[in-house]
Amino acid sequence: MAASTMSFLERAGTGPREAARWSRRQVLLTDLRSVRGRAYPRVKGLLREPSWVLFEILLPFLATSAFVFVYRAIDAPQQYVGFVVLGGALSAFWLNVIWMMANQLYWEKSQGNLELYFAAPMHFMSILFGMAVGGMVMSSTRAATVLLIAGTLYGVTFSVDQWALLLGVFLLTLGALYGLGMVLASLFLVWGREAWHMGQLFTEPVYFVSGLNFPVARLGFLGALSVAFIPLATGLDAMRQLAFAGAAFPAGTPPPLVEVAILAAMTVVSIVAARWMLIAMERRARRDGRLSVRWQ
Amino acid sequence: MSALARAAMDPPAPAPIFDLARTRGRGPADTFRTFAVSARLGWQLEANWTDPFLFFVYSVAKPVSSALILVVMLEVIGGPAGRSFRPFVVVGSALWSFVISGIAGLAWAILEDRERYRVLKYIYVSPSDFLVVLIGRGVARLVVGLAGVVITLVVGVVALGVPFDVAVVDWPLLAASSVVGLGAIIALGLLMAGVCIQTRQESWSYPEAFAGALFLVTGAVFPLAVLPAPVQAIGLLAPLTWWIAGVREALFPGGPDSIGGPGSLFAALLGHPSPTGSEIVIALLATGGVATLAALAVFRLSDRRAKRAGLYDRTTGS
Amino acid sequence: MPGAILPLAIETRAVRRVYAARPQPIVALDGVDLEVPPGELFGLLGPNGAGKTTLIKILTTLLLPSSGTARVFGFDVERETKQIRRIMNMVAGGEQSGYGILTVREQLWMFTQFYGLAGGEGWRRVDELVEAVGLAEQRLQRVSTLSTGQRQKMNLARGLLNDPWILFLDEPTLGLDVSAARSLRELIVEWQRAVPGRTILLTTHYMAEADELCDRIAIVDRGRILAIGSPTELKKRVQRESIFRIELDRLDGGAGALARLPGVVSASAAADVADSVGRQVVVMNLVLEDDGALGRVVGALAETGSRIQGLRKSEPTLEDVFVELVGRGFEDSEAASMVPATEEVG
Repeated sequence: MAASTMSFLERAGTGPREAARWSRRQVLLTDLRSVRGRAYPRVKGLLREPSWVLFEILLPFLATSAFVFVYRAIDAPQQYVGFVVLGGALSAFWLNVIWMMANQLYWEKSQGNLELYFAAPMHFMSILFGMAVGGMVMSSTRAATVLLIAGTLYGVTFSVDQWALLLGVFLLTLGALYGLGMVLASLFLVWGREAWHMGQLFTEPVYFVSGLNFPVARLGFLGALSVAFIPLATGLDAMRQLAFAGAAFPAGTPPPLVEVAILAAMTVVSIVAARWMLIAMERRARRDGRLSVRWQ
Repeated sequence: MSALARAAMDPPAPAPIFDLARTRGRGPADTFRTFAVSARLGWQLEANWTDPFLFFVYSVAKPVSSALILVVMLEVIGGPAGRSFRPFVVVGSALWSFVISGIAGLAWAILEDRERYRVLKYIYVSPSDFLVVLIGRGVARLVVGLAGVVITLVVGVVALGVPFDVAVVDWPLLAASSVVGLGAIIALGLLMAGVCIQTRQESWSYPEAFAGALFLVTGAVFPLAVLPAPVQAIGLLAPLTWWIAGVREALFPGGPDSIGGPGSLFAALLGHPSPTGSEIVIALLATGGVATLAALAVFRLSDRRAKRAGLYDRTTGS
Repeated sequence: MPGAILPLAIETRAVRRVYAARPQPIVALDGVDLEVPPGELFGLLGPNGAGKTTLIKILTTLLLPSSGTARVFGFDVERETKQIRRIMNMVAGGEQSGYGILTVREQLWMFTQFYGLAGGEGWRRVDELVEAVGLAEQRLQRVSTLSTGQRQKMNLARGLLNDPWILFLDEPTLGLDVSAARSLRELIVEWQRAVPGRTILLTTHYMAEADELCDRIAIVDRGRILAIGSPTELKKRVQRESIFRIELDRLDGGAGALARLPGVVSASAAADVADSVGRQVVVMNLVLEDDGALGRVVGALAETGSRIQGLRKSEPTLEDVFVELVGRGFEDSEAASMVPATEEVG
C-alpha cells in the first residue's frame, strides 16, 4: 500500500500487475484484519443496543432456571442441577452458531454484503472467523453469566480434577462448534430460505439428542451417535465428566480423553470441510448467478 | 413505437376524479380482508403444510423434542416421583410450543418484513390496519403451533404412557380456557412485536427468550409451589399460568395441579388447595385483559417512537 | 506506473452468459468482444436488461461466463480471481450494503480491513474519503439514517478505499438528484484523471451522463455490443447532414428560395414564435449537405434584408444513435427486455 500522507487522488503505488501480486505476509495480514473487520460490527452492535443483555442473557437464564426447578420438583440430586447449568451455558454457543453463523450468509446476501465480500481480496474464511469471534463475545458473556449466577443461586458445586483438560475441552468444543457453523454457513448459502427452517430443526431436536439437561448416555445408542457427530453433545458430555469428577455417570459414552480426540477431529474436519465447501459453493454460486440474487 | 407515441394514439382517458369515499374504507369488511390476506401470506411464507419438511420441523420435531427432553429428565431420576410427573410435563411442554409459536409469529413478522423483505414500510403506509396485518401474519404460526400441541399430546398418549380419557374431558373449561388463552398469547406476541420494532435484526431469539422466561413462572413443567413466594406471585399474574392450568385441568381433571398444592402461594392466599374451573377462567380473563391492555400500550408507544426515529424503513444487522 | 507497458484493462472474447430460467433460458450476453485500454473511462450504455450488469458481474469475478474469456489487466476472471480482487472495486447505484448499526466512519473502516489496510491507516483513509465525498458532517451518523444521496456517496467512498486500478460503476447515480449526481460525477472524473492508468467501467442508461463522462462508449442491447466509439464518433454515425435552426426577424418570400440553393437539402419556416427574450421571430429549420452550405444561406438571407437573431446547430444525441442502431428507442427496448424476475440479467 502507498504512503498514507498522499491524497487518495494521487495515491497509486505500483502498477496494477504489481499491485495484484501480494506476498504471503500481505495475504495473511489481510485475512487477519478481515477477521477483525467482520467481528467489529458484531461487537459494536452489542455495545450500541444493550437490549441483548435482557434478551440474550437474563431471559435465557430464567429459561435454564426452569429446568433446574424441574429437577428440584422431583427431588433430583444436586449434581443434576449442575448438568442443567452447564447445558444452559453451552447452549449459548450453539444458538450463536446456528443463528449468527450458519444463517448469516443468507442474510448477508439479502443485505447486498455478500457480493462485496466475494469481490474483496481476503479469503472468505476470514469473514466466517470474524463472525465467529464477534458472536463468541456475546455467547461467552451469556455462558459466563449463566454459570456464575446459576451456579451461585442454585448452589452448584463443581469438582474439577483436571483444569487444563477442562479448558482444553472447552476450547476444542468451541472450535468444533464454530467449525460446524462454517460448514453450515456455506450449505445454507445454497439452500437459501430453507436454511432458516433448518436452523429451527437444529434447536430443540439437537438439544434432545445432545442431552442438554441430562447425561447423554441415558439415550443409549442415540446418545453415543450424538457424541460421535454433534460437537455440542461431545463437548457437553466431556465437560460434565470433568467438571463433576466423582459423580456417578451412566455408562455409554467414552471417557473425556477420547472425547477430546473426537472434538479435535471434528474441529479439523469441519474447518477443512468448510474451506473446501466454500470454494465449491462460491464456484457454484458464480456459475448459477446466486451471489447477488436476493430473497430466494 | 415509443410508449409515449402509443399513449398519444389511444383515446384520452377520462380525467381521474378523487373519490373521497375511498379514504373512509369499508370498516369491518376491510378489516376482515386484511386479516385474511395477511394470514394467507403468513401461511405461504412460514407454514405451508404442503411442504412436508416444514410440517415436520415445526409441528413434529420441535414440540416432540421439547417434550422428550423433559421426559428423559424425569427418567434419569426414576422413581415414582418422576413417573407420576410425566403427564404433567408432557401436557405443559405441548402447550408451550403453542405459546412460542404465538409470541414468535407476530414478532418475526416485524423482523422479516423489515429486514428481509423490506416491505414493512409499505405495509405500514397502506390503508390496512397495521395491527390486523400483524395478527394475521401471526395466526399462521399459531395454527402450526396448534398442530404441534395435538401431535405432542398424541405422542404422549400413544408412546409415553400419558393416560387420557376423552370421556372425562371438561369441554366447557377447555373451550373457555382456549379462547381466552389464545387472546392472551396474541397479546404477548403483540408486546414482543412492539419490542422488536425497536431492536436490531439479530433479535430473532428474543421471542423465544421471552417465552423461556415465562416458562419459569407459569407452571408449565413444574408446580409453582417449588418457586419462592415472590416468583409465584409473578406467575399468578401471568395469564399463561391460568391458561395452562385451565387446559390441563380440562384434559386431565383431578391430575397434578401447577398452581395450588402444599406450600403454594395460591393455597396460602385463598385457603383451599387448588383453583376450581371457574376460578381459573375468572383469573385468566382478568390477567388476560390486563396483559392485552399492557401489550396494546407497549405497541402504541413503540409505534410512536418508531415513527419519530424512522425505524420502520431501516435495516440493521451486524 | 510511468513507462510501464500494461495489458488491456479489460479484454473480453466472445463472452456469452445464459441464465437458466423458465419458460426458456435467458441469454444475457451473446458473444461480447471488448477491449478497454488502461486509463480509459469506458461506458456501457443500454436499456435495462441489455446485459450491462451481467458483464460487470463477470468482470468483478462474481459470475462466470457460460463461454468465452474475460481478463482484467491480463488476469483471467475464472482462474485469477484473487489478483483481480486486489486491484478492483465496484459501486452500484441503489446499493444498500453494510450494517445499519454502524456509523458511516465505522462502516467504511470495516471495509478497509477487508482490503488489508492497517487499523490506523484505515481510519486515516476513511476520514480523507469521507471529506472528499462530502460526508464529513454525517461521518458519525448511523448508516441506517442516511439519505439515498448520502448513502451513494458513502458507497463511492467505499469503492475508493483500496485505491483500485479499475473501478466498476454500475448505474452510480441511480436515484440521485441533479446536484448529488453532478458532484459524484465530478469526483469520479477527478479521481480517474489524477493517476494515469486508472480505469473506470461505467454502466448507465442516462445518455447525458455517458456523453459527459466517457472517453468511449459501447452501446449494448440484448446482450450484444452494437457499436463502440467516442461519443463524438458515435454521433457522427447518424449525422449525415448538418441541421441548423435559425431565428430571423422576418423572412420575406418564404423558405422556398433558400431550399433551392446548392447544398441545401431542405428549408422550412415555422410560424412566428417568441424567442427567449420575448421578441417575435421566424424560426427556420435548415438541413444542409454539409456546414459549407451555411455561408450561401446566410448570404441569401442578407440579400433579402432578413436579420439573423439566433443560430444553433442541432447535434444528434446518443439516443439518436441508439435508435439508429436498434431501430427503436430506449423505452421500447426496456419494455421488450422485461423478463420474469427469476434471475438478474443486468
